[in-house]
Amino acid sequence: MTPLPRPDRAPEPGQPAVLVRDVDMDFGSGPLAVAGASFALARGRFLTILGPSGSGKTTLLRIIAGFQQPTRGEIRIGGQAVTATAPHRRSIGMVFQKLALFPHMTAAENVAFPLKMRRHDPATIPGKVERYLDLVRLGGLGGRRIHELSGGQQQRVAIARALVFEPELLLLDEPLAALDRKLREEMQLEFRRIQKELGVTTINVTHDQREALVVSDEIIVMDHGRIQQHARPVEMYRLPANPFVAGFVGVSTFLEGRRTATGLDAGGAACAGTPVGAIPEGAPVQGAIRAEQIRIEADPARLAGCDTILPGIVRDTIFEGERLLYLVEAPALGLALQVYHHDPEEFALFDAGAEVSLGWNARDLLIFNRQDGRDGR
Amino acid sequence: MSSFRYPLRWRLMDALERAADLLWPERLSRFTGWLMIAPALLLVGLLVLGLAEMADGSLRTLDRATFLPSEELSLANYETALGSATYWRVFGRSILGATLATALTLALAFPYAYALVRVPGAVTRKALLVVLFLPFFIGQVVRAYGWLIILGNGGMVNEALGLVGIAPQRLLFNFPAVVFGLVQYLLPFAVLMLAPALTAIPAETETAARSLGASWVRTIWHVVLPMARPGLIGAGLVTMTLALTDFATPAMLGGGSQDFIANAIYDQFFRTADQGLGSALALMLVAAGSAIVALVLGLFGAGTLAMGARR
Repeated sequence: MTPLPRPDRAPEPGQPAVLVRDVDMDFGSGPLAVAGASFALARGRFLTILGPSGSGKTTLLRIIAGFQQPTRGEIRIGGQAVTATAPHRRSIGMVFQKLALFPHMTAAENVAFPLKMRRHDPATIPGKVERYLDLVRLGGLGGRRIHELSGGQQQRVAIARALVFEPELLLLDEPLAALDRKLREEMQLEFRRIQKELGVTTINVTHDQREALVVSDEIIVMDHGRIQQHARPVEMYRLPANPFVAGFVGVSTFLEGRRTATGLDAGGAACAGTPVGAIPEGAPVQGAIRAEQIRIEADPARLAGCDTILPGIVRDTIFEGERLLYLVEAPALGLALQVYHHDPEEFALFDAGAEVSLGWNARDLLIFNRQDGRDGR
Repeated sequence: MSSFRYPLRWRLMDALERAADLLWPERLSRFTGWLMIAPALLLVGLLVLGLAEMADGSLRTLDRATFLPSEELSLANYETALGSATYWRVFGRSILGATLATALTLALAFPYAYALVRVPGAVTRKALLVVLFLPFFIGQVVRAYGWLIILGNGGMVNEALGLVGIAPQRLLFNFPAVVFGLVQYLLPFAVLMLAPALTAIPAETETAARSLGASWVRTIWHVVLPMARPGLIGAGLVTMTLALTDFATPAMLGGGSQDFIANAIYDQFFRTADQGLGSALALMLVAAGSAIVALVLGLFGAGTLAMGARR
């Protein structure tokens, strides 16, 4: 394969590839669809906007693409203000949720379409089309009609079509949502490979937290139109900014209680934990602990070294393949905790009704102020 | 006590099903499909019978002495029709008029159907539909008569022209008037056939074309029109057939000077009472119409009517 020429992305000092500043979107009914969204994305980075349906993530993407005008705020791409620029005058390639390929054209004609519409020199078009079909590993299939291609191959045509005119920015509007799990995971790695190969700045939108963690350099979590956190994947997972992020990324159990010097007090049960930000003692707080940070043992002596040890009764055992999920009721807390157990020795499973001990470290129970944090449940 | 009450409609359906089972027992169920299309087959069969009767009639010349069809069969009626310059003119006028009317109707119906499908407001869409259907409710004869009032020598248009000092124009009883009337008559049919074809094109496809750099015009030209091709061909076939066989519009807006084939057939049956020649003309019209449909389907494939598995 001939090497692809890197699109001209001469760094302009101090200019992020994408700048979103104070963007509001008001559809006139109900609360703002997007409220006060601001972020900057450096050149060549892969950002995922993650959130549940109705969180405003797709609206924000459509505003960046130019299909919607924000009620307030500014969008800059490559340092240029584009808030009032028509979509086709922004240098943006987009892969749509339902792909939106042209069924009356072949794969190669689909890829050639943006070049023709953008009036590239016709002599150069076949070469470019071939290079990008090779890039997405569809070499030799350019003559196929869209309906003659598999779902994964159609995804690849859509990616090539969005990239062939060398846009400054690639937008992905949940294109993988409709695929089955195996194909979805394969395409996630493909997106990552192609993005790294071209170095194109990319914004992806998804509700799939696993996809966000796998493909991204940075993640933005949105809920109710607001950006909840903007961080690298590891940071997002290890240090969620509030209970919503803790609940949306990963599997967590939430404890209600009051702040104490060493953690929180949940109805008399002292739980060791780490506060997120400064929280005065006695303030109502919410604690979040991830399922894989809780250890489960029959013998409490094996939990020596844990900062918190509680007795529990197994209510249900769910086999998930690579791990077991226990629902364990802790009488001291009056709720059931979700506990992962990876690689159990000799199938030493606990059955429902088994009496067990649970333990965790103060580092792993995150404590959020109930006054300012959003509820995780 | 359960809060769920068995709905009345379900009980009625159960009773109907029991009754149907008495009339048409379960073991005949594999013939149910045939039973349901039997009435339609019967109607088509009757039509074929009528055509056969006409074919027979077209082979018998009229005896001008007794005004009875001849006993012996001959192709004399076809020779008369094909040898007559008048009928060739009528035939050519019908084809030309129908082709022009179809082209104009499609050109006008496409934007209308597009607006109908893509307009965001439900109120606007309803208004567009009502305006489209109004002429349907009025009926073809009354509508044609309306045109006489509007376009006649003392009509509204000529009065308006008179106000600005232009002498009355002859706007009726000519070929353009007939084509104009046909377009107005055919427009709702074409719009109704195009709308589902346009609905089948996802709006996201147009958004994609725009984001890839296509202007609005080029999006329509390169994406919407090709994707709407099945609808355009279906609508074209229906309007072409309706226009080619139309009777009322040429009769009323042509004023006898712009006859189409249907008018010539009418004259043979009901004026000169030459049923043989009328039948021959009618069969030739059926042949011409079938040939046009066959030509279009042969060129573009039967799949164009969205009947094939592949779109």
